Amino acid sequence: MVELSNVMTSERSNGKKWGRVLLLIGRIALGGVFVVAAYMKMKPQPAMPWSLASIETSLSMFAMGVDSYQLLPPWAVDLVAHWLPPFELVLGLWLLTGLALRLSSLVATVMICGFFTAMFSAYQRGLTISCGCFGPGEQIGPKRLIEEGLMLLPLAFAVSIGAFLLARRAEHSAGPLPPSRSQASLPTP
Amino acid sequence: MGRPFDFNLLIRGNQLRYRFDQSLARTRSTCHRAGWTAPSFTLLAFLAFIAPAARPQTSSALRTADPTAKPSAKATAGTAKSADAKPVQTGPLVKSYGSASAPIRLDVFTDYQCPSCRSFYQASLRQLISSDYITSGKVYLVHHDFPLQAHMYSGMAARWANAAARVGAFAEVEAALYDNQDAWGASGDIAKYVAAAMPATDFKRVEALVKACDSPAPTSTWDHSNPLAKDPHPCPFDYAVADDIEQGYKVPVQATPTYVITYKGQKLPAGSGIVSWPILKQFFDSLLAQQ
Repeated sequence: MVELSNVMTSERSNGKKWGRVLLLIGRIALGGVFVVAAYMKMKPQPAMPWSLASIETSLSMFAMGVDSYQLLPPWAVDLVAHWLPPFELVLGLWLLTGLALRLSSLVATVMICGFFTAMFSAYQRGLTISCGCFGPGEQIGPKRLIEEGLMLLPLAFAVSIGAFLLARRAEHSAGPLPPSRSQASLPTP
Repeated sequence: MGRPFDFNLLIRGNQLRYRFDQSLARTRSTCHRAGWTAPSFTLLAFLAFIAPAARPQTSSALRTADPTAKPSAKATAGTAKSADAKPVQTGPLVKSYGSASAPIRLDVFTDYQCPSCRSFYQASLRQLISSDYITSGKVYLVHHDFPLQAHMYSGMAARWANAAARVGAFAEVEAALYDNQDAWGASGDIAKYVAAAMPATDFKRVEALVKACDSPAPTSTWDHSNPLAKDPHPCPFDYAVADDIEQGYKVPVQATPTYVITYKGQKLPAGSGIVSWPILKQFFDSLLAQQ
């Protein structure tokens, strides 16, 4: 009995270890995607130096890509185009650090769901426009939708679910909670 | 001093180039099989330089969209079969707005029958054309025809617009074609709207130029083949349209409208789709703010 219990415990700890490793890989991949996406949107255009003005130009160029989705009014396009890339950068770095992973992965999942919906909507409306996901030039089409829908979206969901599961398991393995006062006052038989 | 080599002739001889490409492809495959690749390439390279030079110079100005091209009324008269056989007086083929020396150049590839192109024109380009950006020499807007195969009358509309460009009425006809897209797109009666956009005398000249064309209008193809491949006797304007299409293939244009912005000679990545005027204006401002 003792041996069986030991085997079960070691299997459980092995599974937990693998879970942690997979979660680490997943969050690095997801964080990396966000950092790269932000960099590609913010990097200066060819032959322009790194400066605030050139970053502004790149963000204005991204605004043209956002506008071509025809989902938002110009003021909202401007807002999204100037705030989304820096936010992606922060989110990517946040995922890489692993701090409050449940929250960061949830935010990432919601964002990717939003991107996928926007792209699918553009595709449905027959708009052959640049995706703008990793800077200009990438057209929305079945390939891009498959990449987003079958790779990035499942990755984000997997990281979120993994983060929640591991956190829950960690709470359970911390041991039973101390008995409440009502339970403590019950007479023992 | 000898006569300078005419690179335009070499680059823009679409029809001959297509035939040459075809023969090159055939010869390459034959020579490859025979193990004669190197000698055949030498021979073909020799032919590439000799053949265009030996070619008669017909309507070279018609084949260019360059606003600096010299008028070539003689060449037009030689190819256009007007009803009364009188030469039609035309000017250079200008399909651009603003100064060519502007720091920003915007190349737009559009199809007159494409609804997104109409929206892009009406939402942005119309404002740009009448704005300070064009008039004060900040932006140079160049129109390129990219008629899609899926649209029945877009090639014909491009022909009308190019003919109008020869009489200096491109801007009016472009606006008329987009504003009445639904109407002529359904009926195919492009002439009616072109006529309404210009004085009757100009329309007669444009009509004479277009009526001389009896072959099907060129369109872009999915396989990026030469637009004039199926046409043994293309209309003079078709060279200009085919030139635009081939430039579009190089971008590459995957949908219309597609735009390419060049800032101080540096090409930025191409974009496609409709961009509203405030957003486009903001982008121009950010470019102009660069030091």
